[in-house]
Amino acid sequence: MQDGDQRDSERPGRLIAGWVAALASLVVPGSGQLLSGERNRGLAILGGVIILTALVLWWPLPLLLLPIAAIWLWNVVDAYFLASGREIGLGVPIVLAALVIYVLGFNAVEFEVSRLQGVWTSIRPFVASLLDPELFTYETEDLSGLEPIQVPCVEPLPPPARNPTTEPNVIISVPCASIGDMIQVSGEGFFPEFEGELRWINPIGDIQRPLVDGVPVTFETDEEGRFAVTIAVPAAVPISQRPEEGETQTHAVRAEQHRPFGEPIPTQTLSLVIEKIGETIALAFMATVAGVIFAVPLSFLAARNLMGGNALTRGIYYVVRTIMNVVRSIETLMWAIIFAVWVGLGPFAGTLALWLHTVAALGKLYSESIESIDPGPIEALRATGANGPQTVVYAVLPQILPTFTSFTLYRWDINVRLSTVIGLVSDAGLGFLVIQWIRLNDLSSMATAIIAIVIVVAGLDFVSSWVRERIIAGRPLIATERPTLNTIFRLAGVAGFILLLVWSWRVAEIDLDELVAGAEDGLRITSAFAVPDLFDTPQEELSVSEPLPIPCGSADFESPEALDQAGDTRIELTPPCGNVGDELLITADGLPPQTNVSVRWQFPDGRFLRIERGCCMTDAQGALQLETTISPLLENLEVDPSVDTGGVGIVWEETAGRIRLSDSFETVVDLAIVTLLMALVATTLGSLFAIPLSFFAARNITGTSGLGGTIYYVFRTIFNVARSVEPLILVLVAAAWVGAGPLAGMLALALNNIPNLGKLFSETIEEIDTGPVEALTATGASRLQVLVYAIVPQLVPRFLAFILYQWDINIRMSTVIGFVGGGGIGQQFRVWVSLNQYSAAGMATWAIVAIVWTMDYLSAKAREEIV
Amino acid sequence: MLRIENLTKVFEDGTVALKDVSFDVKDGEFLVIIGLSGSGKSTLLRCINRLIEPTEGRVIWNDIDITAARGKELRRIRRQIGMIFQQFNLVRRSSVMTNVLSGRLGYANPWLSLGHRFSSADRKRAISALERVGIAEKAGNRADQLSGGQQQRVAIARALMQEPRLMLADEPVASLDPVLSHSIMQYLELLNRQDRITVICSLHFLDLVHRYATRVVGLKDGELVFDGPPNELSQARFEEVYGEEAQMVSVGGYAE
Repeated sequence: MQDGDQRDSERPGRLIAGWVAALASLVVPGSGQLLSGERNRGLAILGGVIILTALVLWWPLPLLLLPIAAIWLWNVVDAYFLASGREIGLGVPIVLAALVIYVLGFNAVEFEVSRLQGVWTSIRPFVASLLDPELFTYETEDLSGLEPIQVPCVEPLPPPARNPTTEPNVIISVPCASIGDMIQVSGEGFFPEFEGELRWINPIGDIQRPLVDGVPVTFETDEEGRFAVTIAVPAAVPISQRPEEGETQTHAVRAEQHRPFGEPIPTQTLSLVIEKIGETIALAFMATVAGVIFAVPLSFLAARNLMGGNALTRGIYYVVRTIMNVVRSIETLMWAIIFAVWVGLGPFAGTLALWLHTVAALGKLYSESIESIDPGPIEALRATGANGPQTVVYAVLPQILPTFTSFTLYRWDINVRLSTVIGLVSDAGLGFLVIQWIRLNDLSSMATAIIAIVIVVAGLDFVSSWVRERIIAGRPLIATERPTLNTIFRLAGVAGFILLLVWSWRVAEIDLDELVAGAEDGLRITSAFAVPDLFDTPQEELSVSEPLPIPCGSADFESPEALDQAGDTRIELTPPCGNVGDELLITADGLPPQTNVSVRWQFPDGRFLRIERGCCMTDAQGALQLETTISPLLENLEVDPSVDTGGVGIVWEETAGRIRLSDSFETVVDLAIVTLLMALVATTLGSLFAIPLSFFAARNITGTSGLGGTIYYVFRTIFNVARSVEPLILVLVAAAWVGAGPLAGMLALALNNIPNLGKLFSETIEEIDTGPVEALTATGASRLQVLVYAIVPQLVPRFLAFILYQWDINIRMSTVIGFVGGGGIGQQFRVWVSLNQYSAAGMATWAIVAIVWTMDYLSAKAREEIV
Repeated sequence: MLRIENLTKVFEDGTVALKDVSFDVKDGEFLVIIGLSGSGKSTLLRCINRLIEPTEGRVIWNDIDITAARGKELRRIRRQIGMIFQQFNLVRRSSVMTNVLSGRLGYANPWLSLGHRFSSADRKRAISALERVGIAEKAGNRADQLSGGQQQRVAIARALMQEPRLMLADEPVASLDPVLSHSIMQYLELLNRQDRITVICSLHFLDLVHRYATRVVGLKDGELVFDGPPNELSQARFEEVYGEEAQMVSVGGYAE
């Protein structure tokens, strides 16, 4: 946009006249530019117009065709100028295209300003509980006193239906009152100088807390154990149960105190959380160890330099690489859902998912490190006469071990993070507690679990960075002066490792039998996944039925043909009527040959019951025979032909119409667009907030002392803490704020992106080259000019690269945040899996793989271009 | 005429970079400042155009007290003083043309320039400045695609855009190899001889000093220890300025 000025340099190589180019572009956008020799520009215009139009029509938001039409017009003008040897800026079409995309984006995430209201009211409970987790409780000694009161007042007042208690004593200023009257409640004989609460008990014994100004009434006793408070008489009984005119009901007020004593005892929440911390760590440990064991051999098969030898090994290389790439681009949480179907919910499914993703991710990293080894030492050792294994031990292992180790530790960190959230979809680890407590609306327990997640992640991060530092520095983890002690430590380390492994095996509920037993299900799911139902043929459900009077003669059926909805098809029941438990032979003909049909008991109210599972297939002539007994469920069948009929029905499906794109395909395309746009809007919002904030977290802008220094540390700390909250957790909060759906997902991503990008941006700002700043200051440029000419050009490309990178991550994330209420394709995936529609779920999976790959590729290209 | 009066600079951490330095520079001189790294050469140059605030003392240029100038007035003074740097200080990702044009910012319309808009006169001036340093054909390239010597020439072109009457050069050839060093120094000499631009340049290498300077001042630990014509700067005096490291300078430095 800043280069909106026309370049007046004459462009050589004019190919066609201006009006020809303009006409061409009017017919096919971009063609005039192509004819003028501007290939990239022409293709970009053509592609842009096609993609935007397709999006707008698919959605559909026809109003957005206007800006596209404007781009079209601009393209005609552009073609004319280009052919005449002048170039006009790209500002107009870029702004218009952005307008279209963002309107679509905000539409896709169902953005409405009104939905954002009430942030504080919806988030306050979360924040409040985070500050007050439920860790310990105390045994309490309790005191309570009760005093009756009659509502409303009548003449004469009958004696109360309850007797007043005496110790401790509660006194109400009046014996009776009406709803809304202010009454004084006082008491004596309570624990001195301690708080207490009031309860209102209605005649049926329901207890509520009387409110004043919407706040529950509490009291505080003086040093002699006395108190006095004023409350309003609540409407404690529904109108229908209020007394008749002239009658009254006895309510009561109870004052109670609960004074803690003795040692604090951990709450049930705390012990559950501690148990699940163990499960979380076990999951991560088991998955990492097992992942390494599988990834190492696979990585050799996926290393180009080892497998390049002949066609066979190259083939293996490509197969292994491709499988690893596919597995890797499906998020771990998605695998967890798939494995939960296979082996059932629980830690084992979570471990399998973590393990599989680990194998693929580590396999790739390992193989890349094998590919990058220096062949020099191998050659040198061969030259000394060393044999194969010797070469591996002395020339290959020393080169790959350090990188393998650091990749493994890196993956361990990731696995710890993942195992804290994998429970959001499979019942394992801390994430399970979080989602369960959120569903039960037990926020303070949830807060305890979230705090535990932060502690586990931060703690294990610390441990692994300690180990990493030691390894990089080449120091042993534990070292003493005495060699015997070292040996003992080493043995203890190995023993500890094995113990940890055994413990993890048990905690993670590893059960290989389960894997085998579920293999059939697993295979069925996998094959359904692999073959997504892109197309389907519309099916029509056809049925015939034959009434079955029970017992004989209970109803008269004159015209069974009238029930026949499928032409020539005929059912015959032998005998035509009977009693429960009687044998029954069902024969039918005229059905489509070799077709699965469902034979069922038909109830008069339209419900039905399959007679036999897995039955039945018609023969080549379209006939069917089935022997059965009349089900006891039909005993109460009261057949009334005028209403409906009961009896035996046969239902089957027949193709009606031609093959077409399946409904689920359309849904997937729809949601894929939503997911992309959700990620785009989130990245944009995140960047818009992160850019200005990042300057407050850049040391070279704020300085390190005084007010500036304080601002710097505050922002840095906020960024670091906020970054460590998983987007999946943020979705839960956002869903409480705006309701589940793509808007919640978008907000969660944006909230995660602000600190993430803020940190990256501020580090970029800190790294800028101050030379140009100095040079331009020396030319007499103003501060603003220095900013524009010396700082912005340095920041823009790096910021853009980070934004693209974040968009990439957001797309991956947006496929899984749907699992917990973030909308988009992930939400649909989970629905389909829970409905056993694996082919549809498979298609969603392939769509995700396609999106992730395309975006990976595009953003890598774009980053190369920028940096 | 540039007059440096009792210039002292004490940094926040207590380092004394300049101690009561005074000397005059006549118009048209090619003044070379020599001294070890850390002797205060860079600080002295930066105190002249106030990139560094002096602690005490004054810098007076043609009867204007630079040290007293504020805001807009300071920027008006700065735009008449060109400066080139050891690390060239170009915006590496911007085009050569933009880098050169940015030397004109002190003259340009302060608001239009924020939109990268310059008058066609300025654009023509930029082309001719690039022609002068012999790299007009690189105008459209990104600065980081150029070699070190070319980048320093872009930096000179940027300084020329200011139509400077004084040119400060902070170790302009320290990042370049010997052949390129001479080429850059020759451009500076040309500006000095043809355009009568006063040049104040800090240098490391004795033979460059002899070849280009009309006058030399030596700094040691922030104090003025030599002031005179280059032919008075014998090897012995040179060693006095550089101390025990002089040997290394003459051996490892620029010598054939």
